[in-house]
Amino acid sequence: MTKKITVALAGNPNVGKTSVFNAITGSRQHVGNWPGVTVERKMGKRVYKNTEMEIVDLPGTYSLTTYSLDEIIARDFLIEEKPDIVVQVIDATNLERNLYLSTQLMELGVKLVIALNMKDLALAKGNRIDEEKIQEFLDVPVIPTIASKGTGIERLLDAVIEEASKARKNDDPLSYDEATEGMVHELEVILKSDQYFAHYPSRWFSIKLLEGDENIIKKAQESKKYTQIREILRKTDEDNFETKIADQRYSTIQAMLRQVCDINTSQLSGSDMVDRVVTNKLLGIPIFLALMWAAFELTFTFATPFMNMIDIFFGWLAGATAEVISTEWLASLVGDGIIAGIGSVLIFLPNILLLFFMLSLMEDSGYMARAAFIMDRVMGRIGLHGKSFIPLIMGFGCNVPAIMATRTIEDPRDRLITILVAPFISCGARLPVYVLLAGAFFGRDAGIVIFGLYALGILVAVLSAKLMRTTVLRGEDAPFIMELPDYRLPTLKGSFIHMWERAKIYLKKAGGIILIGVVGVWLLASIPAPGSGGVFGSEEIYGSTDSLVGVIGHLIEPLVAPLGFDWRIAVALVFGIVAKEIVVGSMGVLYGAGEDEQNLSNILAAGAMTPLAGLGLMVFTLLYVPCFACIGVIKRETGSWKWTLFQLVYGTGLAWVFAFTLYQIGSRIGFLT
Amino acid sequence: MEQINQNKELLFALLAGVLYSIFGVLHIAEGLSINTGIAEFLFISGDILGGACLVIIGTVFLYGSREMTKGVNAGVSFVYVGILLSLVFMAVYILTMGGNLLDSIIVPDDYEGWSVMENFRPGIYLGILPLMGILYWKNRFSLNEILVVREVA
Repeated sequence: MTKKITVALAGNPNVGKTSVFNAITGSRQHVGNWPGVTVERKMGKRVYKNTEMEIVDLPGTYSLTTYSLDEIIARDFLIEEKPDIVVQVIDATNLERNLYLSTQLMELGVKLVIALNMKDLALAKGNRIDEEKIQEFLDVPVIPTIASKGTGIERLLDAVIEEASKARKNDDPLSYDEATEGMVHELEVILKSDQYFAHYPSRWFSIKLLEGDENIIKKAQESKKYTQIREILRKTDEDNFETKIADQRYSTIQAMLRQVCDINTSQLSGSDMVDRVVTNKLLGIPIFLALMWAAFELTFTFATPFMNMIDIFFGWLAGATAEVISTEWLASLVGDGIIAGIGSVLIFLPNILLLFFMLSLMEDSGYMARAAFIMDRVMGRIGLHGKSFIPLIMGFGCNVPAIMATRTIEDPRDRLITILVAPFISCGARLPVYVLLAGAFFGRDAGIVIFGLYALGILVAVLSAKLMRTTVLRGEDAPFIMELPDYRLPTLKGSFIHMWERAKIYLKKAGGIILIGVVGVWLLASIPAPGSGGVFGSEEIYGSTDSLVGVIGHLIEPLVAPLGFDWRIAVALVFGIVAKEIVVGSMGVLYGAGEDEQNLSNILAAGAMTPLAGLGLMVFTLLYVPCFACIGVIKRETGSWKWTLFQLVYGTGLAWVFAFTLYQIGSRIGFLT
Repeated sequence: MEQINQNKELLFALLAGVLYSIFGVLHIAEGLSINTGIAEFLFISGDILGGACLVIIGTVFLYGSREMTKGVNAGVSFVYVGILLSLVFMAVYILTMGGNLLDSIIVPDDYEGWSVMENFRPGIYLGILPLMGILYWKNRFSLNEILVVREVA
């Protein structure tokens, strides 16, 4: 008969937990959300030796305090759901910090198995680890694994099954100094006398109370014995006590490590050597900028032939469709609406794929963490937390996950500022607008222009953060603690998977919201304005001033005319709020360019707008209202309509001012006119 | 023996640093419309940002040579990272050339009178030096071993 057990996968961030999860579950996994919050919850199944294991991947945490949402989720799961066993994945190259979490898991009284991961990297560094001795010291199974290669996974599963069948251990994994132990004992006596606390491991709960853990104190306040508990807690200084406990845990770990491993300190590892250069005070930022420039240059130049191939295909498709459909409005819907709209979005797929591929290489190699580290100095100067840089970098792909990634920022003010400025980081959806306009007006310098736009996005985000930090969201700076994982040679497969995951989102959007958007534009462009006397879908009406879209465009035009934009651009920008990619699709429809992106580019370059207005349009697209999905996530993450509206008004106001200044000054001095 | 090795790296860093810096400055000068007179002969285009990247690579090499001159053995890190950066940029320029060549086959009308050599850049031929460097020091600088470099000191 098959036995069922729940296995929780815990560990610090970047220790290979996901690799272990993937190696155990294979394709049998699904992703949901943790109850009440939107942090991703990964679950998977594995049947092994008559045991059905439900594997729950807990968020990566350094400890089990309540400083971040991830820590609260992991801790609540372990206490409330009581999994049958916890597998802690440990990075063999950084035992001291990883074992700190182990001590907390052991104090929590869970059944624990340790997966000593990345032992190959530790060996390459010249470190020798005696896992049997660690096992003896901790009295938990320690299994060496190289999860990326699947090595040691079966041994790990054997240990999980064996350990799950054993009874829970009740002995104390760590002892503290006499005074602490005395207070822990006093508290335990009180806790054990009240049924309310029966759900919690009493020793762990007592230590947490002494550490001043807010969450635990709140729970204790609901008990009838709180007065007695408070009396004991009054004897301690919470802040110092937490540090004292942490020091004692680390002392125990260090004493153990001296006996179980031999850390090589005589050689500088490859990672250390690369870090000496890429995190260098003088060279770090220039190297980062040079690499980003290379990525954008390649995104534009190498993608061009593939864009032309797609362009040729859609040209052929539109021609073939026109021959088959005889009804004028239907041919227009399919040719000018659907094929033109989708074609004008899909043509940028090569750029999207290339940019995401290169960002994946940087992320998978471990370089992005360094980028955050070197940018911390800059972030610190503007009063923003170094951790804010990672969500901002993620914004290059899509602002939605970037805003969600701000959950790792503990300080609420830092988090709010990062959410509010993240939409200024240029996402992949804006790239088609840049590629079209930069290609039309700046030829071979298009790569430089696009790089400049991305840099402008970062600059606006950074300066806005500074402005907010010194005005509406003033507060103390939080300390920056961040782990720099070892460099790893990114695998082609891994980077392709990451690239494809993001490209899939783009393709789904092209087939969903963008399709609806472009058909909406086509419909408005085909419906004659009241009193115009035109015929629906006729060539005379389509996209003209006599169409409904023409009327709407002319209504908005006065708002954007000082920026050098006409009514068509006004309409495209309004539709761009649905999804930024629609800006290009809408322009294709409204300028009557059909399915051919090159055609639209030629129309624009031939005088439909000046290069200066084109540059202004790119700047406006970068900064104005983000897309619907992004607005939704800002509301959800800030929990406030006030801050959501603030972002929309602030961003659009900034976009208008930038484009206005650029156009008005440029026109007067004859720049790009 | 180890001192000889360190000297080789020092010489290499100096040579690569000076070359990359000079070519970077020439790119920037051409980008600022300053006629250097040797641009056509050396395939140097007017490219301010591309030039700045070459200067950054050159500075990495020179920074390393400065450290090694001071007797800091770990200065060799800059040589290895400099080599990596040079190779990344060499690859970028080669891919750009390849992309344009492919594009000229797909849309020949857009490339009338264009020759593939128009995209030939110093970043490509300068890359031969770091390429030789990585081949020479391949045992000390193994990519398969997570960029593990054995410090001889």
